[in-house]
Amino acid sequence: MKERILQTLKSLRAYAVEKGLQVSLLYHEEESALMRFANSAISLNTNEHIVRLEITAYRGSQRAMYELITEPGKLDDMKKGIDTVAELAALAQPLSYTPTIPHYKADFIDEQGYDEALAKLSNEEKLAFFNQASAGLETDDLKLSGIFSSGTNIWAMVSTNSEFCQFFKTSDAGVTVVLAHATLKWEVQAEQSAQKKAELNAEKLHRDLAFLVERYQKETPQQLPLGSYDIVLGHAAIAEIVRFLGFIGFSGGALKRGFACLNEEKIGQKVFSDKLTIVDDPSYLQTFPLKRDFIGMERKAFPVVEKGVFKAFTWVQDDADEFGMTPTGHTVPAYSVVVSGGDHEVTSLEELVGQPRDTDLLYIPFLHYMNLVNPSKGIITGSSRFGALLLKKDGSVVVPYNVRLTQSMLDIFGDKVAWVSQKTEAYNVSSSYGARNPNAVVVPLFMRVNDLEISHSNSSY
Amino acid sequence: MRKQIQQQIDRIKAAGATYVDARWYPVDEVNNLVMWNGNLKNADTTRESGMGVRVLYKGAWGFCASSDLSDIAVIFNQALDNARVAAERVTFPVHLAEKDIIQARFESPCQIDPFSISLSEKVAFMKKMDERLNQSGVEQRFATMTFMRKQIVFMDSEGSQIEKQITEVFAGMQVSGRDDQGMTQERSYRLNRQGDTRGWESINPQVFEENADRIVREMQQVVAAEDCPKEDRAVILLPGIMFLQTHETIGHALELDRILGYELAFAGGSFVTLADFGKLRYGSPKLTARADGTLINSPGSFGYDDDGVPAQNTVLIDKGILVGAITGRQMVEEANVKARRQIFNGSGGANRATSFYRVPIERMTNINIDPGEDGTLDDIVRNTEKGIILDGDRSWSIGSNREQFHFANEIGWLVEDGQVTKVVKNPTYKGSTVPFWNSLSAVGDRSTWSVQFVDNCGKGQPSQIMQLGHGVPVCRFDNVRIGE
Ligand SMILES: [Zn+2]
Repeated sequence: MKERILQTLKSLRAYAVEKGLQVSLLYHEEESALMRFANSAISLNTNEHIVRLEITAYRGSQRAMYELITEPGKLDDMKKGIDTVAELAALAQPLSYTPTIPHYKADFIDEQGYDEALAKLSNEEKLAFFNQASAGLETDDLKLSGIFSSGTNIWAMVSTNSEFCQFFKTSDAGVTVVLAHATLKWEVQAEQSAQKKAELNAEKLHRDLAFLVERYQKETPQQLPLGSYDIVLGHAAIAEIVRFLGFIGFSGGALKRGFACLNEEKIGQKVFSDKLTIVDDPSYLQTFPLKRDFIGMERKAFPVVEKGVFKAFTWVQDDADEFGMTPTGHTVPAYSVVVSGGDHEVTSLEELVGQPRDTDLLYIPFLHYMNLVNPSKGIITGSSRFGALLLKKDGSVVVPYNVRLTQSMLDIFGDKVAWVSQKTEAYNVSSSYGARNPNAVVVPLFMRVNDLEISHSNSSY
Repeated sequence: MRKQIQQQIDRIKAAGATYVDARWYPVDEVNNLVMWNGNLKNADTTRESGMGVRVLYKGAWGFCASSDLSDIAVIFNQALDNARVAAERVTFPVHLAEKDIIQARFESPCQIDPFSISLSEKVAFMKKMDERLNQSGVEQRFATMTFMRKQIVFMDSEGSQIEKQITEVFAGMQVSGRDDQGMTQERSYRLNRQGDTRGWESINPQVFEENADRIVREMQQVVAAEDCPKEDRAVILLPGIMFLQTHETIGHALELDRILGYELAFAGGSFVTLADFGKLRYGSPKLTARADGTLINSPGSFGYDDDGVPAQNTVLIDKGILVGAITGRQMVEEANVKARRQIFNGSGGANRATSFYRVPIERMTNINIDPGEDGTLDDIVRNTEKGIILDGDRSWSIGSNREQFHFANEIGWLVEDGQVTKVVKNPTYKGSTVPFWNSLSAVGDRSTWSVQFVDNCGKGQPSQIMQLGHGVPVCRFDNVRIGE
C-alpha cells in the first residue's frame, strides 16, 4: 500500500514539474470502522474506505487548494485536479505575504504508530469486547449505548520543491461505553483510547462502569444548591478544557486575530497554577503523533506551560508567514498535548471516593457541549454529564442532577488548583467530521479545583 | 452504473436482506472562500464521488461506503456482513414505515449556477466587501462564501429511484474590535433567504453593503458600551439568535432518534418522552412550531429524504402543545410500538446523510416558528417595560437532554418603559427549555419573520454536518436571567 501511495505521489509530482507548476500534494487514506450501540443493540455498523488528495498550487503570493475524494487508481482524475488548481491559483487574489511551499529535505517514513492487530479488528472481536465491558450491567431499564471506533489513517505528502516524501501510518481506536436509565434518564460512562490492541481493556471499562452504576442505582438524585464548590474534574473534563485552551490559549494565529485569552506580555509570566505543566510532546505514541509537520519541520517536545509559567505560542506555517513569525513545527491536524501529573496519589474513581476529605467535593467527570462565551477572557461554559458525584465530607456520596459551569479557564487552571493526580491517561479526542483525524491528549486522571461557582443546577436529568 | 446498482440490490436482497438502498454521488462539490483582513486565506474546492450502501438484515443495519467504485459488489458485501454481525445484538428489530414507491427528480431552485462564476468574479466581490468593512475601529475583517453542488442518485429494494440536484449558497461576514479593556467584541452577518432561488443571484451586493455598514456601526457601539447587567429581564430575540434558540431547544430536542435514546453515546437525549406527545405544554399558546421541508428555497428543503420519502410540512408544537417530531421511517415505527399508540402516521421525511460516506439519520428540515399577532419589532419594544433586545450567536451550550441552555450574544439593547435606552456588551442569557418557551409573551408578525440558514449542524457518530433552515419571527420571553 505504501509503495502504491508513494508511487502515485511521485507520478503526480513529475506531472506538475513537467508543466512548470509549483504544488504540494497531501494524500489521506482512511479505513474507518464504527460499531455503534444504542438501546442495548448494535444500532449501526459501518465501514468507510476513503481516499483524499489535497492539492495546493502556488504562484508567488497566489494560492488555491483543490481536494478530491476519488478512487486510488484514478491518476488521470488527479492530474486533472492539478491542472484545475493551477488555473485557480492564477485567478486567486495575491496574499499580502508569500506562502511557504513545503520543502522536504529527506524521505520520512513513520509507521511506528501502526498496529495491524488493532487496525484489523474483526466485527466479532469488537462485539465480544463490548459484551465483556457491559456484562451483567444491562437490565430492562438500564440500556447500553456507545461506540467502538477503529481504523487506519495514512498521511503522505510531497511537493514540487523536492523529490522526498513524508509518510505516516497509524492505527487508532476509541471506545465509549454508556449505560443510561431508560426512564430516570441518568447516564454513566467509561471510555478508552488505544493505539495498539494490547491497550484495550474491557475489564477496566467494566470495573469503572460497575462502580458508577452501583452508586447511581442506590442513591436518589438531588438538585444541588447554586454556589461555590470544590470540584474534582475527571480526565474527560480536563481534556476538554485543555482542548479549548489550544484554540484560544496558545495559538499564535488566534492571538493575532484577537481571539486569545493570553498575549505576548504573558510569555515568561506565571499565568496558571504552578501545578500545571503542558507540553506538546510527539514522543507520546498514545496521542497518535506526527513527528514531522506537514511543512517538513521536525516536531520535538514543545513546552507551552511549565509549572504555571506561560512559555510560548505555537505558530503554524501560514500564520507565521502572514505575521512574520517563526514557525514552531505545528502545521499538523492535531497536537500531542500532554498535561503532566502532579503529586496526589489517586488511581481510580473508587479510590477518590474512598479517600478522607476535609470538605465536600463535587466530582465532574465530563463536560458536555462546551463553548466559548468570551474568548478574550477565556470564559467557557458546559454542563456536567455521565456520572457526577457529590462526595460529602462525612464520607457519604450524593448523586446530583447535572450542573452548569461557566468559568474562565484562567481561573480553572489558576491558583484554585488544589492538587493534580500523579496518574495520567490518554483521552481520545479524535474527530470524524470529514476526514478521520486520530488524536488523544494525555491528561491527569483527576484535578481538584477549589471554589468554583455553579451557575445553573438542574431539577431533573 | 444504475443497472449495476440495481443488480447488486437484487443480489443482496436474494441473500436474505429485508431492505437495501444505495446512494451514489456522481459528484459532490464544495467551493469555500475565506478572506481575512483582505487576504484570500482559503480558495478551496472539494470534489467527492462515491457510494454508500445500507442493508437491513434480521432487523439490524449494516452500512458501507467507498470512494473506490471499481468493484461495487465489495461495498454491498461489506454492508451485508456488517448487518449480519449487528443482527447478533438486536433488542428492537428495525422495521421501516410504509412509503410510496417513487420515481422522481428534485432540483433545488437556482437561477445562476455558482460554479459557473469564475473565481476572479467571486474574489472581486469579496474584496469589495472587505474594503467596505475596513472602517475606523475595525481590527479584524472576515468574509466567507461557500457554494455546494451535489448530485445524488437514490435507489432501493422497494423500487424507488430518485435523483436530486442540490445547489447551496452560504455567505457571511464578521468584524471585530477591542473595547477599553482590550477585550475583543464582534458583530456578524450571515446571508439569509433572499427570494425564491438560491444560486449566485442570492449574492445581492446591495444587501451585503447595507449589512456591512450595519455590523461595523453596531460593533463600534458595542466596543464603547457598558457590560450587560446581571439580572432578570424580558428578552426580545431577533432572528439572528431566535433561529439558534429554536434550533437547539426545539429542533434537536424533537429529533425522534434522540427521544428514543439513539444518540446517548455522544450528542445526548431529550427531556421529551413518548408520553409527552399530545400532552406536554412545551410553550405558551403563542408558540406554533413546524418542520417544514416544503418551504421554498432553503437548505432544509430537499424534495425527498435519504429514505426516499417526500418532503412534508409537519406541525411539531401546536399553540404550545407538543404534537410532532422530526422523523424518519425507522424511528416512527419503533416509537408507535413503544408508546403503545399511534403517535406518528408514517415518516416525516427527515432522514438525511451529509455525504455518501455517512448513514442517514434524523435531521432538521426547516424548523420554523409561525409568525404571531404581536405586531412589528417596534410594537413589541413599545409594550415591554424592562427588557433587552438580543442578536448574534456568539456562543451556545445546551444540556445533554436539551433541558437547559446558555447563549452568549454579540449585542444587546436595553429597553426601559417601551424605549430602547442603550447598547450593552457581553450579553448572555440562560434558562430551562420548557419554562423558557412557556414564558413566550410576544410573537412578531410576518414583517419580523425571516428564514435563517444553518450550514454547520453537527450530529451523529461518525460525525455529520448538515445544512438546514429556520423561519423565525422576533419573539419576547419574560423573566429571563441575563448577564451570567
Ligand atoms: Zn445542530
